[in-house]
Amino acid sequence: MKKLTVLSAAIALSLSVSAQAAEELRLLTWGGYAPQEVVDLFEQETGIKVKVTKSNNEEMISKLKATRGAGFDLAQPSQDRITSAQKAHNIYKPLDLSKIDSSQFIQSMLAATKDQSTLGGDVYAVPHVWGSSGLIVNKADAADIQDYTDLCKPAYAGKVTYRLKRPTLIGFAFAMGEDPFAAYADKDKYQQIMEKVGQKLTDCKANVKAYWSGGDAMLNLMRSGETTAAMAWDAGGWKLNKDNADINFVAPKSGALGWIDTFVLPRKTKNEEAAYKWINFVMQPNIAAMITESAGNFTASKGSDAYVDAKLKAQYQASFSPADIDNIKWYPPVPAGLEKIEGKILDRVKAY
Amino acid sequence: MQTDAIDLACENICKHFSEFTAVDNVSFTIPQGSFFSILGPSGCGKTTLLRMLAGFESPTSGDILIKNKSVLDVPPNKRPINMVFQHLALFPTMNIEQNIGYGLRRQGVAKAEIAERVAAVLKRVGLPDSGKKRVDQLSGGQRQRIALARCLVLNPTLLLLDEPLGALDLKLREQMKIELKQLQKEFGTTFVYITHDQSEALVMSDQIAVMNQGKFEQVGTPHELYYQPKTAFVASFVGDTNRWSGVVKSSVNQEDHQTQYQVTTNDGLTLDCVSQSSDIPVSSNVDVFVRPEAITVSLSAMDNCLENQLECQVENILFDGAKSQIIAIDKQSGGCITAAMPQTADFMGLKAGDAVYLSFSAKQALSFSEKQGEMNASL
Amino acid sequence: MLVSSSTASGSRSRIKLGMWLLLAPLCLWLLLLIILPHIELLSFSLSDPDEGGLTLSFYGEFFNEPLYWRTFLRTAIMSILATALTLVIAFPVAFFIAKMIKGRSKGILFAMCLIPFWVSELVRTFGWMILLRESGVISSGLQWLGLADSGVELLYTDATIMLGLVYSAMLFMVVPLVSTLDSLDDSYIEAGYDLGGNNWNIMREIIIPHATPGIVSGCIIVFMLSLGNYLTPVLLGGKDSLWFTEQIYTQFITRFNWEQGSAFGILLLLLSSLIVWLGLKVTGQSFTKTMG
Repeated sequence: MKKLTVLSAAIALSLSVSAQAAEELRLLTWGGYAPQEVVDLFEQETGIKVKVTKSNNEEMISKLKATRGAGFDLAQPSQDRITSAQKAHNIYKPLDLSKIDSSQFIQSMLAATKDQSTLGGDVYAVPHVWGSSGLIVNKADAADIQDYTDLCKPAYAGKVTYRLKRPTLIGFAFAMGEDPFAAYADKDKYQQIMEKVGQKLTDCKANVKAYWSGGDAMLNLMRSGETTAAMAWDAGGWKLNKDNADINFVAPKSGALGWIDTFVLPRKTKNEEAAYKWINFVMQPNIAAMITESAGNFTASKGSDAYVDAKLKAQYQASFSPADIDNIKWYPPVPAGLEKIEGKILDRVKAY
Repeated sequence: MQTDAIDLACENICKHFSEFTAVDNVSFTIPQGSFFSILGPSGCGKTTLLRMLAGFESPTSGDILIKNKSVLDVPPNKRPINMVFQHLALFPTMNIEQNIGYGLRRQGVAKAEIAERVAAVLKRVGLPDSGKKRVDQLSGGQRQRIALARCLVLNPTLLLLDEPLGALDLKLREQMKIELKQLQKEFGTTFVYITHDQSEALVMSDQIAVMNQGKFEQVGTPHELYYQPKTAFVASFVGDTNRWSGVVKSSVNQEDHQTQYQVTTNDGLTLDCVSQSSDIPVSSNVDVFVRPEAITVSLSAMDNCLENQLECQVENILFDGAKSQIIAIDKQSGGCITAAMPQTADFMGLKAGDAVYLSFSAKQALSFSEKQGEMNASL
Repeated sequence: MLVSSSTASGSRSRIKLGMWLLLAPLCLWLLLLIILPHIELLSFSLSDPDEGGLTLSFYGEFFNEPLYWRTFLRTAIMSILATALTLVIAFPVAFFIAKMIKGRSKGILFAMCLIPFWVSELVRTFGWMILLRESGVISSGLQWLGLADSGVELLYTDATIMLGLVYSAMLFMVVPLVSTLDSLDDSYIEAGYDLGGNNWNIMREIIIPHATPGIVSGCIIVFMLSLGNYLTPVLLGGKDSLWFTEQIYTQFITRFNWEQGSAFGILLLLLSSLIVWLGLKVTGQSFTKTMG
């Protein structure tokens, strides 16, 4: 009997020791959101190792869907991909807001994200990094591109690149005078808009050199001069601007598309405490500034602007006038079923 | 042999492979319709010679004439020569008919005629119903005949055979020797047959060339090669033989162009023997050859006229029916001698340890000087 | 008698057990990595996410929506073309390796066919992109030589996909071809010449019939590899080049439409098997003969 208790105590001890030694945070995030220096600082402070898996919205959701919410302790999907994915697949866990230091957040942004990610009275997400997508233009060759539809001007045949993904459909829809976000609730109306955009994209095909899929492919096309205009993220534009002053991000006339990447807990998170620690850690202004440096986008951390490189701030101001910022179209949550409509349109554009 | 027309003539053929000389200045002619064999140990250059005839190799120097026309510039697929390969090389992806018809199709013969000629040749080789069979459905002997038929259907001037019986078992080989000879006679085609098996060559050939180290040692009928070998190599390679090395003691010229010598062998025997050459000087080295069947065996000493008689003890008897042999130890020298077992009642009870007397005439003991051997080889 | 028979049956059962033990890894591998996932795919493709129960609507979608079956058709035709092209290029190479050279140089040439496979497919494909893009090596070379006035875009066309597919499939054609051609004794070829054949009909009547099993198995492997390739068509392909595997990926990953993706996966399996079967029928080959 005594032996048995000793044995079980030993096992319990060894288990807890190994758990302690191997305490880690499995983070499912975007490239640049968890730079090595931040990971190192976090480990120094808390003793927790961070295992980073880089991904994108679709893959994050697919991965969590495949494991029914297991395999990661913290994930960072965009704000518009939370309630719909939760409704359809039940992959997230509600946040305990008392464990998050809300004073570190820009209050308006925190409130907006909470509002957008509330389902059944539970809050699922807090904001982290935000940015926009719009146009990257080489002004030396294509000064007159001001909106998405300008990419289709005959003068730029074979000199343009964009993705065959939903932001392209949404952007073109706005540029064509439609309001796709308003049509989110009305599937038929949305279908109509998308058909129209699909037609436009098909007609525009001659202008496209290639549809880019990875961010690096797009950067290469622009940097080598093989294309003069692209539809892409603001951070990519600013990165290119560092090497070539002619190239910069341009907020389109019909409005840049704003996105907010958030923090959410996967439903089967194993280390919730570490997840909260990470959130509170990276939202400190000086740490947030380091992430801005590496990701190229600003965060929802209050006061981190003060720590950010002056060059990046200047680029930001060159791309966005105050009116442009007011004109940003923020993605609302995507209702289920829209992806199917968009998917078919995109397939058709590529096929014909 | 019916006419004196010459089908194939080779003039001073040489073939060098970098350092190595495979065929060294070989000349010969083959009359129409004859069965000509090239006999030699492996590596003697006979395959290279055959491949030059077929056109797969070209001679370094010399000329090959078929019906008095040089064929050196004619590629293998245009020469009026066909070849039966060592492993027959019947195409496994075609049936028998297609195999035999392959050459005819290449000549652009009409389909109906091809069928007719294939059927005819199959009948002649005794396999009239096997046209639709696959190659692997035939026995070794049948394949042999198909390989022949595939060549013979083209009526070649010359048919080359590269040891085609090598893969067959002994019994079948004996049978195929006779069949091959018969088919050759029937078709009247000139055969050039290469082999390392002297019995194949002796049984089938009209003419045999014995080849050694790239050279022809002797060309002649089987009878000539067997009974009148011109060189030590031919004497030892064609047929079984006993061999002694020794030194010439004295020589006497006979009336029939032969010279009789007395030789003391290295193990101490004194033998009377003959040679075709009369100029072997006294005290030069010679080899003496005696065939087992030329030896007379007796149980008691004979006082007849045979020049050589040796008192021996039976060491062993190799029983092989009519081809049984006695291995005996010579009492004087302790050397080993092989003799054919007489098939008479006197010797039925012969056993190891018995005393026997072996005798043979000087005419059946052929001697070759080492120098003479070299001379003949370069001839 | 009794004793000996019982030990005989004992050893027989031991042999049987040994055989099962040897087969176990293979069976496990088949079950866990091939059969189970396909059963899962099949059940996904037949289930109705909205109503529950079974449905064939995802299969119907493939045949009713021209986009999908046209994409499949395009993929299949391109793959067949890539297979044919690979065969045409690989045959002389294999013939050269198997019949024309001997010894060391044979090994070296074979290794040269292997070298591209020492790097990952992704790296190989990026290599092509660096070579072929408008600001790439070949384009710059042409301009330097004065053969082109401005940059030449060689990327993003069907021909580029073909190039990539043939390149990455080459080895899988060369290996079976070399091994069958190696097994063809030279005397068959010589016999062909001896009986009056010329290069062309010896190739047609002797060498190719002999190499048919190698040709067929090489073609099956290359066809399946091309059909299932994802990176090459996506990275090298042009604006109009939709590949069927890309469709499956999109259905699974960007549309979250696992049911449709599963249906496409099953259809890819069935239709490609059908094409291979038809190919074997047309050439009069049997699968066991080819693989045996």
